[in-house]
Amino acid sequence: MKLALASSPASDESARKQPAIQVSNLSIVFDTKGGQVIAVDRVSFDVAPGEFVCIAGPSGCGKSTVLNTIAGLEVPFEGEILVEGAPVYSPRPDVGMVFQQPHLFPWKSVRRNIAHGPRMLGKSTTEAYAIADDLIAMVGLKRFADAYPNTLSGGMQQRVAIARALANQPRVLLMDEPFGALDAQTRTVMQDNLLALRDRIKATIVFVTHDIDEAIVLADRVLIMSAGPGRILREVAVKLPRPRSSSVLVEPAYHSLKKDCLDVIRAEGLRAFNQSDAN
Amino acid sequence: MPEATSAESDIALRTGGRARRPNSVGLRRLNILVGALSLPLFIGLWELVSRSGTVNMVLFPPPTVVAAAVLEWIRSGQFFSDLLASLFRVTTGFIVGGALGILLGILTGQFPVISSLLSPLFHILRPIPPIAFVPIVILWFGLSEAGKLFLVVWGVFFTVWLSTHIGVQKVDRGLIRAALMLGTPRRQMLQEIVLLGALPYIVVGLRTAVSISFYTLVAAELAGAFAGIVYRIEIAQQNLQTGQVMGGLAALGLISFIADRLFAALAERIVWWR
Repeated sequence: MKLALASSPASDESARKQPAIQVSNLSIVFDTKGGQVIAVDRVSFDVAPGEFVCIAGPSGCGKSTVLNTIAGLEVPFEGEILVEGAPVYSPRPDVGMVFQQPHLFPWKSVRRNIAHGPRMLGKSTTEAYAIADDLIAMVGLKRFADAYPNTLSGGMQQRVAIARALANQPRVLLMDEPFGALDAQTRTVMQDNLLALRDRIKATIVFVTHDIDEAIVLADRVLIMSAGPGRILREVAVKLPRPRSSSVLVEPAYHSLKKDCLDVIRAEGLRAFNQSDAN
Repeated sequence: MPEATSAESDIALRTGGRARRPNSVGLRRLNILVGALSLPLFIGLWELVSRSGTVNMVLFPPPTVVAAAVLEWIRSGQFFSDLLASLFRVTTGFIVGGALGILLGILTGQFPVISSLLSPLFHILRPIPPIAFVPIVILWFGLSEAGKLFLVVWGVFFTVWLSTHIGVQKVDRGLIRAALMLGTPRRQMLQEIVLLGALPYIVVGLRTAVSISFYTLVAAELAGAFAGIVYRIEIAQQNLQTGQVMGGLAALGLISFIADRLFAALAERIVWWR
């Protein structure tokens, strides 16, 4: 049974359906005081509908920039980005985003934070609150529906942020190191929560992290990026069975995957080191 | 004049200031007792020094004489007309100046073109102490109420404008990005995010402006008035009624203190999520 689930929906359906996200030849150049810096260099990848892709790489490799561009928050860029077949120029409600910081509206209660999106899309307050209450139950914060963000722990705030992003029922959910600011224990719990949540929502997820363990636990596929300029070094398919939890960390299959990833990262690190040495 | 940084440090002080821990219950009780004795001790000492003959009692009247002067002031009915005249100037000036400050602060904070147009002008006018405008205000408005309102509005406006401007600019970009991702239209960003995000700064600016409005009131009433607390102080000074002068000062201090406390209590409700 587990093995049947192991073949992710991605590999079967991607042949028939159009990809949820198509990134082709994406390049992003920043103007800085020291001149132009190529943050992202000709990055191309597709994400199948329902697939969970992690982009992993060191800080400063442009992985967050790639995510912001898919979100429509980063312009201008070169290349093409299609989400559900349509080009992206600005934020759209069918693309949800969870940032590294929760960025909750401090003047709104948990319920009203989550209801914000539906309200902005023209839902009545009653409808928006009903959606919010469903999501509050889903992320296990029923007792805190009327609490203000500054009374919640970091992990709870990030759960609200995830619920808020899901309130508009996005086709694509972008997550930018959402657990990066949490302590290790909370992070593991949040990863398990996200895996459970993922089985209930249909969204395609692109998740950025610098933590290889996190990437392997969560993803169907890991894209490993290098820094300066940001490129995709390698794609690693994660064929670990689903439903999954953070306990896969102790399985032998996990270790060989992690070794694959680390080999790529180590080779790249060595190359970058030698290069800087030569300069 | 308060600078940008004072508005910010005010906020920092408000959030992190309540962590005093007394060594013991006994020490805390002693502190309360000393605190309760502070004013009576001071007034008693004052009374003794004034009546000891070492100072001129006309210039340095004891508290009992001051109290008698205040009672007479109240009994004559002038106190309430003076109080009303002063409160009217302060309140009207504060509301008009505050409203203008908030409005223009939002405009300059939100729209770079308007900021480029107005900010240089405001930054040149802002450091001029409002009192320095008294002569020209007399030329323009004579001794009318309009001139007095002008001075208070002038003093309040720049403080509130600057804190609003900074508040709008300092609204967390992350909140705006989050709101954009949730489908908030850009034209609704002001009412949904920017105003509330800037509110803590605006409130600090308004609170500073409360004391500034009293400070400019003094200049306004000294410039020539027909009623008002400061006007009464000036008249008493001309008649060498030092007790009345001191009573007026005490009244001014008390009103200003009450206004500040009322505003502080109001501020807690305005910024309800803190």
